[in-house]
Amino acid sequence: MRTRPLALLPLLALALATAVQAQDFPTRPINIVAPFPPGGQADLMARPTASAMEKILKSPVVVVNKTGAAGAVGMSFVANSKPDGYTLLMALSSISIIPEADKLFDRKPAYTMDQLIPVALVSADPTVFVVRADRPWKSVKEFVEEAKKRPEGLSYSSSGIYGTLHMAMELFVNAAGIKLKHVPYSGAGPALTAILGGHVDALASAPAVVIPHIKSGKLRPLAVWGDKRIAALPDLPTFKELGYDIEFYIWAGLFAPKGTPEPIMKKLRDTVRAALQDAEFKNAMAKLETPIAYLDAPEFQKFWDKDAKMLADAIKRVGKIEE
Amino acid sequence: MLTRDRIGGAALVLFALAVMWEDRAFPLGRVSKPGPGYMPMLLAGILVVMAILVIWTGGRSPALRTLKWPEAKHAIAILAGCAFAALAMERIGYRLTVILLVGFLLWVVERKGAAVTIVTALGLALGTFYVFGTLLQVPLPLGPGDF
Amino acid sequence: MVETLQNLTHGFAIALSPTVMVYAFAGCVIGTLVGMLPGVGPLAGISLLLPASYGLNATTAIVMLAGIYYGAMYGGSTTSILMRIPGEAASVMTCIDGYAMTRKGRAGPALAIAAIGSYIAGTASVVGLMLLAPPLAAFALSFGPPEYTALLLLGLMVLAYMSGGSVPKSLSMAALGLLLGMIGIDPMTGYSRFSYGVVELGDGIGIVPVAVGLFGVSEILLTAGQAEMPKVIKPKLRDLMPSRQEWNDSVWPIGRGTVLGFLIGIVPGSAHIISSFVSYAVERRLSKHPEQFGQGAVAGVAGPESANNSATSGALVPMLALGVPSGPIPAVMMAAMMVHGVSPGPMLIHQQPELFWGVIASMYVGNVVLLVLNLPLVGVFVNLLRIPYPIMYPAILVFSVVGVYAVNGSVVDVWIMAVMGALGYLLRKFDFETAPIVLGVVLAPMLEMSLRQSLALSSGSYTVFFTRPIAATMLGAGLVLLLFSLRPLLAKGADWRQRFGLQEESTLEKEEEK
Repeated sequence: MRTRPLALLPLLALALATAVQAQDFPTRPINIVAPFPPGGQADLMARPTASAMEKILKSPVVVVNKTGAAGAVGMSFVANSKPDGYTLLMALSSISIIPEADKLFDRKPAYTMDQLIPVALVSADPTVFVVRADRPWKSVKEFVEEAKKRPEGLSYSSSGIYGTLHMAMELFVNAAGIKLKHVPYSGAGPALTAILGGHVDALASAPAVVIPHIKSGKLRPLAVWGDKRIAALPDLPTFKELGYDIEFYIWAGLFAPKGTPEPIMKKLRDTVRAALQDAEFKNAMAKLETPIAYLDAPEFQKFWDKDAKMLADAIKRVGKIEE
Repeated sequence: MLTRDRIGGAALVLFALAVMWEDRAFPLGRVSKPGPGYMPMLLAGILVVMAILVIWTGGRSPALRTLKWPEAKHAIAILAGCAFAALAMERIGYRLTVILLVGFLLWVVERKGAAVTIVTALGLALGTFYVFGTLLQVPLPLGPGDF
Repeated sequence: MVETLQNLTHGFAIALSPTVMVYAFAGCVIGTLVGMLPGVGPLAGISLLLPASYGLNATTAIVMLAGIYYGAMYGGSTTSILMRIPGEAASVMTCIDGYAMTRKGRAGPALAIAAIGSYIAGTASVVGLMLLAPPLAAFALSFGPPEYTALLLLGLMVLAYMSGGSVPKSLSMAALGLLLGMIGIDPMTGYSRFSYGVVELGDGIGIVPVAVGLFGVSEILLTAGQAEMPKVIKPKLRDLMPSRQEWNDSVWPIGRGTVLGFLIGIVPGSAHIISSFVSYAVERRLSKHPEQFGQGAVAGVAGPESANNSATSGALVPMLALGVPSGPIPAVMMAAMMVHGVSPGPMLIHQQPELFWGVIASMYVGNVVLLVLNLPLVGVFVNLLRIPYPIMYPAILVFSVVGVYAVNGSVVDVWIMAVMGALGYLLRKFDFETAPIVLGVVLAPMLEMSLRQSLALSSGSYTVFFTRPIAATMLGAGLVLLLFSLRPLLAKGADWRQRFGLQEESTLEKEEEK
């Protein structure tokens, strides 16, 4: 009976230590790793987030670009770094794709998804389905009809095999039961160039990128992969409205390495929650035409799990391209 | 008989064959739909052909024994230095690595005086860290004690 | 025309306003510095200043970023000429003849001609950008995978012209470079090829470590241990300016380089480095003294340097006229525009004339600034050559290591640089040329991708290359060029073994023909 209070002492000490740590946190600059080159989606999300967090924490928050292998380099860097809250990851939905693709090729995975824990979701852009304006299809229905008449006759470009734009289209292709020609490009920019040049018929894309071309009449949007219609294109039906039960978002979220102590995680989550309310942050997002979609860690975890499962199924379905 | 070109060509042939061997893991596909293994196999094949041509016409190049290697020891030392830099940089930090690298090159390899070595080593380490690390915001690795 | 002049005047009014001038100047200076540092290129400089640009208005931000972009092309030639280390990837070709000129004591003229060629090309190409942007951009868009394949194949034929000496040797180096370009994740199927589990190799071995290692480090390895170190050159003032002969030799290369660079830069996806390679090859082909190339031919500096500067303006054409990124750097600039609420797209010129004309005008101004900045600096830089080599080369090595590391923050790149340095050393000892390797590494992934994309689009049929007019034309031109290069072989009925043999015999034969 006498030993019990003593046994509690180390636990108490530990609790105090972590609490103190959390109180002092951060004592050094926090690094948010953006695994894509500057100007890319992750980078563009990370910078306003970082500066808003910096204002709240009154301590520097720096964006570090660690590029390579479609994001794998940066993601595995954070997954393997010390879980002390000073190294965070701003990742896109491709975070769920890379380990699956690795599994498909029997590669040693660069990282696994359970090496990372979510802090918060920052944005979720539903992808938009566009076709060339000079083609005759004015609705998804007409497109599907044409595709059924000519299997593998219509083509679409994507940012790369097993990339987000490919997976989005994959969901549609599977739900509609059609076969399309997939032409991978090395990035979203070249994929857009391809459809603008008339070399492919269709593209799944982030809205902000294609809206100028929709307005100028070069591209025609047929549907959006969201749960609800998007503000920028209010007349555009969602795939769900048209009868296809599919959703796809190019989302950006903040992650931390697994094992980051709970008090620090709480502080980070609170900071991000406040940061996303910041006026300057909202302003920056509005300029990027990206709606803010905030989800705190527990909801984000659920969202992530659902999204990851959907992507894993899609990847397994696509399988390896055995030529 | 052993001329420079023949040895060079032979080395290239071996390399190309090694590539072909490694490439067998990838599906070749067809001519109308090349797989991931197609291009490397094709290029390795071209390399073999070219390298064989080099060997064939290599008879007129200077003999191997005329090839002198006076700088080889230096070169190996420098390469060892580079390897050290690659290994050490993320472990002991950038500045320390540069100091040790430059110190090695100037003191051991070039046999310069202590003053020159120290000034150059420190100058380069701190100077380049300032330019690249601070001004250009390149995340250069820090070593013990954040040096 | 009148409207253009009016718009241009308006643009100059913006460009010459104090704020814009300050930022343009800052961009140019930073660009030059960043270009000079080995390995670190304009992308690094632009990425650095991107966050700083968020606080500025859209026009000023783009003016500054553009300044970094073309400024880097000025600075890149400096280390290439003085130390044979490419300041950034596109300056690789300048290393060859530029450094040879330095060894001959003509470093000053080389730097001067590089600067002046860059200025002329930079300014002339902005004129092109200004007048021809929309139609050229539309033309560029019509380049689909078959056209790219044809263009890149044409680029490969350039390899045949690039080096003197033994054809099998340079072709085998090209094949080696192409093979090295195969390393990485195959973008068409997702397989990782030859990366042996190293995640960083997923994107390939990277042009910067290859260029810096193959050219810069190998040079150090070859020279450092020599009994006779390169002599310390004490340049005299007279030696800083190019001679009359050197001027004359530069005029046409600058002109041709400007046009070539601009056209190649317009095509989205072509790298700047291709423009300098093509210019080098063209100059070599058209020169009356091709054997001088590699030994310090002025045309080998003037042409490529002009080409890579006009390629920057060319690259801005699709970006400004259509909102299409023609490479990673324009993509970052487009992101900068989006951050400022300016949506790049075909309506940009009409909706944001301030931005377009302001940037155009500032490019004119910027080029002048850079010329004024760089010419006097020639005298300063040449004095760097006074440093004794045994102290110089560790410094070069440190700059190379950190410059290469800075690209991706990855030690793997430093390893690649070291390995390529060793490879370059061995190859040069055995008299193999290393330039084709660099071109191969750049071209291989692009060529393979566009070939397979073309086949994907045509469902496997190769006729697509002949039914599409632009592709067919380019392939035809390539075939003609190939036949032309073989014509001396056939017409003279010369001993074909001699053709494949060492250069000395060919020149000897030329002497005999006379």
